[in-house]
Amino acid sequence: MGVVMPLNAEKGRPEQNKRMFKEDSTDLALFVRSSQDDMTGWDRHRIVEALLRETFIDRDTAEKISLDIEATIQKGRVKTVTGPLIREMVNAKLLELGLEEARRMHTRLGVPLYDVDQLLVQHNKENANVPHGPEATNLTLAEGIKKEYALLHVFSPDVADAHLSGDLHLHDLGFIDRPYCSGQSLEYIKKFGLNLPHALSMAKPAKHAEVLLAHMVKFAAALQSHFAGAIGWDAINLFYAPYLESLSDYEVKQLAQMMIYEFSQQAVARGGQAIFSDVNIYWEVPKHFENVEAIGPGGTYTGKTYGEYEKQAQRFAWALFEVYKEGDAAGRPFFFPKPLVHITEKFFKTEGHMDFLHHICEVASVKGNTYFVFDRGETAKISECCRLSFKLEATDLEDAKQPWKMRYSALQNVTINLPRLAYRAKGDDTRLFQLLTEKLQLAAKAHEQKKKFIAKLLALGKGGPLALLAMDLDGQSYLKLDRCSFLIGMVGLNELIRVHLGEELHESEAAIKFGLKVIAHMNLVCNKLAEAMGMKFVLEQTPAESTAFRFAKLDLAHFEAEAEKVIQGDRKRGEVYYTNSTLFNVGAELGPIDRVEREGLFHPLIEAGSITHIWLGEAQPDKEALANFVIKVFRHTQNDQIAFSPEFTACIDCGKTSRGLSESCPYCNSQNVDGITRITGYFTKVSSWNKGKLGELHDRYRNVNRFNN
Amino acid sequence: MGGRSLDRGQFSPGSPALPPIRGFLESSFIDWPGRLCAILFVGGCNFRCPFCHNHPLVLAPEALPEIPFAHILQRLTPRRKWLDGICISGGEPTLSPALPGLIGFLKDEGWAVKLDTNGSRPEVLETLLAGRLLDMVAMDVKAPLVQEAYDRCAGVQVDLARIAKSVNLLQRSGVAHEFRITVAPALHGEEDILALARQLATAGSRLKLQNFNPKTTLDPRFEGKQGFAPEEFGRLARIVAELAGSWA
Repeated sequence: MGVVMPLNAEKGRPEQNKRMFKEDSTDLALFVRSSQDDMTGWDRHRIVEALLRETFIDRDTAEKISLDIEATIQKGRVKTVTGPLIREMVNAKLLELGLEEARRMHTRLGVPLYDVDQLLVQHNKENANVPHGPEATNLTLAEGIKKEYALLHVFSPDVADAHLSGDLHLHDLGFIDRPYCSGQSLEYIKKFGLNLPHALSMAKPAKHAEVLLAHMVKFAAALQSHFAGAIGWDAINLFYAPYLESLSDYEVKQLAQMMIYEFSQQAVARGGQAIFSDVNIYWEVPKHFENVEAIGPGGTYTGKTYGEYEKQAQRFAWALFEVYKEGDAAGRPFFFPKPLVHITEKFFKTEGHMDFLHHICEVASVKGNTYFVFDRGETAKISECCRLSFKLEATDLEDAKQPWKMRYSALQNVTINLPRLAYRAKGDDTRLFQLLTEKLQLAAKAHEQKKKFIAKLLALGKGGPLALLAMDLDGQSYLKLDRCSFLIGMVGLNELIRVHLGEELHESEAAIKFGLKVIAHMNLVCNKLAEAMGMKFVLEQTPAESTAFRFAKLDLAHFEAEAEKVIQGDRKRGEVYYTNSTLFNVGAELGPIDRVEREGLFHPLIEAGSITHIWLGEAQPDKEALANFVIKVFRHTQNDQIAFSPEFTACIDCGKTSRGLSESCPYCNSQNVDGITRITGYFTKVSSWNKGKLGELHDRYRNVNRFNN
Repeated sequence: MGGRSLDRGQFSPGSPALPPIRGFLESSFIDWPGRLCAILFVGGCNFRCPFCHNHPLVLAPEALPEIPFAHILQRLTPRRKWLDGICISGGEPTLSPALPGLIGFLKDEGWAVKLDTNGSRPEVLETLLAGRLLDMVAMDVKAPLVQEAYDRCAGVQVDLARIAKSVNLLQRSGVAHEFRITVAPALHGEEDILALARQLATAGSRLKLQNFNPKTTLDPRFEGKQGFAPEEFGRLARIVAELAGSWA
């Protein structure tokens, strides 16, 4: 840098024609390894062509640059150069000339040799749901390039810089060409069969339950390759019900087992990654489906309404939880699909609900799978992803009459680094809210840019990359872009409060009150922006599996003096993190009652879904005690969703699973063990966790009596 | 309301009428079957069970800060709609002369009360049962009622007649109760466990087998010793459950 090479003015006269340049170039005995898998002779023109094709610079300048590069290479006396090297040399030249915009446009996206070597050999821990293998490294490499593309080409520099500096986090940048997550109805494939664009074959609507399952799994896999995150299914037990009438209990259990194994073992799709799948389950027939005509085998109406399938739906729900209770062949909990049981007023009016509640609470205690989703009053919701849920609005309830039309998507998730705002505000409330507003506006801008990009891809229709999302079997494109949500999440409310007020959320009423003010402000600004921009911005509790770690690391680097006082975890071991979203300090001695009550105060402000985790550790409460607690959470709090998380030790030597996180296997004493518990919204092996989450795991308060320590 | 009695000065902090509370867990899912309860831990114990994992409460309760009762009430009262009762545990709570006063107070306040005891003070148990002050009792039974075995498991010489009397009192009480047996391979053979289960199994009694937990024990020689292997423990627990169930 800094040395300006003289341009060879004589050779670079613009009047010279193309052939002359060619002749100029060939006297160089030099081979170029091109990007086309080819070795070609040196041709200075290619530089000119690329510059004129990719940037807005004029021909004269392009010529000058190419001649200059030629001179430099000539001096080096090398026999072979690569395309990427030439490109970077040109970029350096553009930089010297102050042509920043052209340099940006001419950038090459790629990965250093060393990094690829590391990647192929070592495990990527950014997302614990990605195993290590050739497919996984493909995913990481592709993600890396798409991420650079997104930051350079999809988002404006201010948005990209805000992401890179850690003011906010644009999630799933490596999936820039896909929406974030998707919730759908089984009715779509029940009615239309498996009829995907560009598929090698087309299947008519399923006639048998097993075939429907096969369609569901394949459709889920197809969706996984078009969305970045979770694939959720609404009222799965109800929509299966018309296929179950002729099946014995044994066969229903068999089907439940097949479904759970299919989803938990789907490690063959994208990135060798299991489909992040959710199934929504109801004990009652939800009111909005009661009088809807049921679709049965062959995609035809059965002549009954879903209200008449209550018993079949319950049979399937029961069987699914029997399978969850058993766990896999080694007794471990199934990681996917995550079962979300909706607890509603109608639930408590439906026959057999206490038995079912005990059943799912037993699963919660023994294996931890159950998510309890509380739909109080008249709200109907479908939930998916780690926390994300969609409230059904009037138009959705209209769609519910034809349930195949029900599908929901959030296009992107942007998370705001809250503690950093407090570092900058230096105790000034007005400044804090001002900064927060600015970041929310920036997040909205990021969403607008992603929406524009997806709209562009979607507009290419059936010939474009998002053909699946453009398919319109029911007259509307599968992705309803104008009805998508745009998520805005937060990390580290607890640390923001600690910086700003000197106390953490669990330490005083004043801290909670101020926390609520911050989130209420976010909610308000979201609503205003939504109105102004015509896009649905909603708050979400970001799962922040790696974001809580990333923000903490960046703030320790850039705001060290402030950050070191409030950062959580163990700095010496690099296991640092911010507390997720609006959660309270995970290590605070807060009993489950206080945690669900107080964290629940924030939930009504966070429209796209919230959760409180209760870490059980080793303890295995009886199902009646948990059921008792669940009912009280429904009745006495505003809490949106809870899950109980036990911990397990899986022995790699003897293959057995035991309760609690132990250093050695209680069966065979082997130390070759791995822990299993919930990382954010799903179960995984502890060995795959990033350092921030390991720090959090160590801190989690497990509500056991204190004399054990 | 809690304030009423406090105004009378009956439970002012440090009052001799109050057993010193050395530990307080606001909510537990696992200490009262089917219920959500708070736990008060009373310091001091007359046993020295080598596998005890609450040993700071047993050996040096004074080292643990006493939790002011006013503070406890302040925490409990707003959580009344959540909590189905209060469990008084230890140590050995029946050693405290102030126990009946504490329980009486809690009952007056409308709380259901559960007592954890080792059964060495049947006279206290008898008074509390007669006064209808208990809604549930969990009694730890350490070994079959054989002198040598019991002494070894309790770490002190035990008057077995008193233990037997407590067992008997509970069996005839009509009050919900549970006999808990903590087992460790170093102390209990399978025969011991089954013999004890047979002695305790009567209609209306719950039996609960607990596996020894090797983390932080009273007798350091027990630390790191193994509990029963999970399959073995599961098998024993099933046999014991069947024995108990045959009376149900």
